[in-house]
Amino acid sequence: MEIRPILSAMRRNKVGAVLIALQMAVTLAILCNGLFIVEQRLSLSARPSGLDEPNVFVLTNFWVGNPPDLQARTQADLAALRSLPGVVAVSATNSYPLSGGGSSEGVKLNPEQKEPTAITALYFLDEQGLQSMGLKLIAGRNFNADEVIDKIGQDSQVPPTAVIISRVLAEKLFPGQSALGKSIFVQFQKHTVPIVGIVDRLQVPWVEGDSWAGSFNDNSTIEPYHFAATYIHYMIRTQPGQLATVIQAAQKQLYEVSRARVLEKAVPMLEARSNAYQDDRGLAIILMVVCAALLAVTAFGIVGLTSYWVAQRRRQIGIRRALGATRNAIVRYFQTENFMIAVSGAAVGIAMAVALNLWMVSAFAMQRLQIGYALIGAAVVLLLGQAAVLWPALKAASIPPALATRGGA
Amino acid sequence: MFTYYFNLAVRSLRRNVVLTALMIAAIGVGIGASMTTLTVFRAMSGDPIPQKSRQLFAVQIGNWDPQTKRGLFGSPDNLQPQLTYIDATALMKAHAASRQTAMYTTGFALTPPNPDVRPYQVQARATYTDFFPMFQVPFRYGGPWSAAEDENRAEVVVISTELNDKVFAGANPVGKTLNLDGRDYRVVGVTEHWSPTPKFYDLNNDTFGKPEEIYVPFTRAIESQMLTWGNYNCSGDVGEPGWKGRLSSECVWFQFWAELPTADAVARYRTFLNNYASDARQAGRFRWLPETRLRNVREWMEYNHVVTTSARILVLVSFSFLFVCLLNAMGLMLAKTMGRAADIGVRRALGANRHAIFSQCLMESGVIGLAGGVLGLLLTALGLAGLRALLSEDVGRLTHFSVADVSIAAALSVGAAIVAGLYPTWRATQVQPAWQLKAQ
Amino acid sequence: MLKMTHLSKAYRTEVVETYALRDFSIHVRQGEFVAVTGPSGSGKTTFLTIAGLLEEFTGGEYQLDGENVRGLNDNQRSRLRNEKIGFIFQAFNLIGDLNVQDNVDVPLRYRGFNAAERRRRIQEALGRVGLSARSRHYPAELSGGQQQRVAIARALAGSPRLLLADEPTGNLDTQMARGVLDLLEELHRDGATIVMVTHDPELAVRAQREVHIVDGQVVDLAAQPRAVAGANVANA
Repeated sequence: MEIRPILSAMRRNKVGAVLIALQMAVTLAILCNGLFIVEQRLSLSARPSGLDEPNVFVLTNFWVGNPPDLQARTQADLAALRSLPGVVAVSATNSYPLSGGGSSEGVKLNPEQKEPTAITALYFLDEQGLQSMGLKLIAGRNFNADEVIDKIGQDSQVPPTAVIISRVLAEKLFPGQSALGKSIFVQFQKHTVPIVGIVDRLQVPWVEGDSWAGSFNDNSTIEPYHFAATYIHYMIRTQPGQLATVIQAAQKQLYEVSRARVLEKAVPMLEARSNAYQDDRGLAIILMVVCAALLAVTAFGIVGLTSYWVAQRRRQIGIRRALGATRNAIVRYFQTENFMIAVSGAAVGIAMAVALNLWMVSAFAMQRLQIGYALIGAAVVLLLGQAAVLWPALKAASIPPALATRGGA
Repeated sequence: MFTYYFNLAVRSLRRNVVLTALMIAAIGVGIGASMTTLTVFRAMSGDPIPQKSRQLFAVQIGNWDPQTKRGLFGSPDNLQPQLTYIDATALMKAHAASRQTAMYTTGFALTPPNPDVRPYQVQARATYTDFFPMFQVPFRYGGPWSAAEDENRAEVVVISTELNDKVFAGANPVGKTLNLDGRDYRVVGVTEHWSPTPKFYDLNNDTFGKPEEIYVPFTRAIESQMLTWGNYNCSGDVGEPGWKGRLSSECVWFQFWAELPTADAVARYRTFLNNYASDARQAGRFRWLPETRLRNVREWMEYNHVVTTSARILVLVSFSFLFVCLLNAMGLMLAKTMGRAADIGVRRALGANRHAIFSQCLMESGVIGLAGGVLGLLLTALGLAGLRALLSEDVGRLTHFSVADVSIAAALSVGAAIVAGLYPTWRATQVQPAWQLKAQ
Repeated sequence: MLKMTHLSKAYRTEVVETYALRDFSIHVRQGEFVAVTGPSGSGKTTFLTIAGLLEEFTGGEYQLDGENVRGLNDNQRSRLRNEKIGFIFQAFNLIGDLNVQDNVDVPLRYRGFNAAERRRRIQEALGRVGLSARSRHYPAELSGGQQQRVAIARALAGSPRLLLADEPTGNLDTQMARGVLDLLEELHRDGATIVMVTHDPELAVRAQREVHIVDGQVVDLAAQPRAVAGANVANA
């Protein structure tokens, strides 16, 4: 194809070509990084919690005043809930995944360590705990009834008799070995605690990807307690399909047991998930919309400016046709011209994308862009350019050769 | 000449409606996107109390072993953002600032007077009475409790106007009682709607959250053993179990603010803090000399990273979008200008100097900028509504469009159009009258 | 009025230097009606653009209405153009967006006259060319001859010292051309100074005298109403 004449013709419209190339470059830079961020946020919100989410919901209970008989009340509540039809298991707990609030501790293998070997989230659950959350035990066993002791209030310092930990934590504490039967110190306890079971997955309560909790997202420890407190969560697992009915029944039942309480709105785990990741999903959607808009604006820009160039060179095109150029040749001329602009735009764009990403890595502690994104982005932008230039190119091709014989611009 | 150029601009734009529409659309869409994110960003990063932000200081004391791994529990440096009970009360007692308050976030179960309505949760702030004048909280009825009531751990509360509407139907409730956590508290005041965004006085628990509905004396909350509803972080052995353990431990769960109106007062308070720290070390409480820190409102907001990464990303992306829109507009304006070079040539021949041509083209850019600005404002309103629908309630509170934002949008739009039009305008002034006419 | 002495205009490209005008001298006195003729490429258009201060010249001197124009900056030239010269182009060059009235108004705006003064002058100019009734019409609605007359009105409105016409009847049919020429003669009778560039000898006849340019130099047939087309008669 006649590259040199196209280049020299472009030199006359330097500014316009630069404008298009620059638009494509910036679009590419934003597109690559934007899609990268979208992918990160979406994969963040796809992390499994380890729970049987479709069938679990949480009722948060807050006793009015400071009643002295917290444990009796909690047991009465649990009995009432467990008696409902459709209920598989119920446990009282201090926190749950995707809730955003909970406790965390450091784990040490021997007490002289300065720094803990790992950080973990703590969940207080009784012997129905695994069932209530729908956790999958992959090694060892559930707690025995005699291992579960009373813990009244967050401040009671009753040490646990045993723990069940998550697989990721087990691997971190005892890499390459089985953690079953081993003992650990949970930060400020003076005695060790044996690990009696390992669950496949249990997420910590906090979901922010870029916070401190991001580094220990799947480290969880379950301590066997009959937990009772003024502010407490009831984890309720239902038979499949019975969630809605049980929610209604459960609230009614608890109020019948006692009115001196505040029951927060029941939170099905699926709802907890969408609440927890609402802002991540929102950001992803916004970024996708903006990227789409960028592509649209750039495409319109190409259509506009190319149409202007076609109009400017009407006579020239007519002359070419008179001299024997086919319509296809005219279309190919403009496509080649656009391609050359697009390639330089893409080259600059990839450089911009990488630079932008590096800056975001240092400023926001983001991850580095994979080269695949840059290449896909470049391909998208090139294709966009070719598609956009098609309409003005076709219009150019329809310019009649007779124009050459008429004088004037 | 201004009206003349304005008329010429309107005429010229009207002649090629499609091109004009595209130019206005390019500017408008770009402004819409960038103003949407800029509004949220400004709300996040704006000074929530500009008249006093340099006089209010958050206090930090390094009560944790500085040898512990940095950033272990969310702190950007070695200092905890909250204080222990020991330090909070000691600082209050020392009264080294003209106004000061220790506080923490907690909550009550409110049992309404109507027995048919179930009890519900209400978020509360346990604080000292200085809180209200310090943070300039406006009152609708009554006022803050007295310092004596702080001393006496009185069962009094100040409530928000929203809560007042809910419980007392908006009437003056001063003197009436509320049943909170099973006890009767006397209402002494009702605040006007007060919702600083961000909630700068407690950035560690709910940066963009709803404002509290009840304020209760700190001493009363501690006496009633009200647990914190915020972050509670412990290091080292907690010591005693139970409530006493909490109060005597190195666990941090309090915020402490001092009002220091002059640079002198600030310097004196710094000295006081350093002395306090070294005294504590002498007394054997610490094995190290704790660092202390005073940060004013703006510094405190920076330290706590109030402006989220997502907000920054969005601003960056939307301004890049604006840039692309401007390039687009520039291309369109260039096409338009070069398309009527003949027109410009005639005017030059008739005696227009370069300045006159420049003014004429600038006016066109300005008109497009104005129209684009109007479109941009509409799109911004739409964009903010979209954000409200997509994102959580906390972010939704940041999407209010103020008068300042409107002015910024208008200025940005006209400015953007003029910048986009600069090169085409310059090209227009370079049109030689002779060349254009010879080509006829 | 218009005095050029030993004027030259060179175009330099990388390779070659061409002279559009070479040692060109002309003196048009106030009240004269001069036709400037010559074959195409002779440099008569260049002469006109330089005379109208639309282009700079390389060497020599040009005095317009007693004022030396060498070294004037763009602002000064624009002002001079605006105040002293009235242009009449072959292609009329009216602004399509504007109606007749607003077209005549254009140079007055750059002059800085107030609204009342501008109105008066527009009315007077349109009256002179006989188009008062069409003041609200747009150029597209007028015939070629009418458009040219509007252009003449535009040229007159600022009370210029000199009228420069470039093939004023080039785009008109015979009848319209006659009308325009009659108007020009009338203006001359009323005291206007007119320099008309044309390649048509029949037009040149209607002027008072003729200056013939060949290859950028003058062949001046002083005070002779008859033009000798194409003759290479040298004169001092």
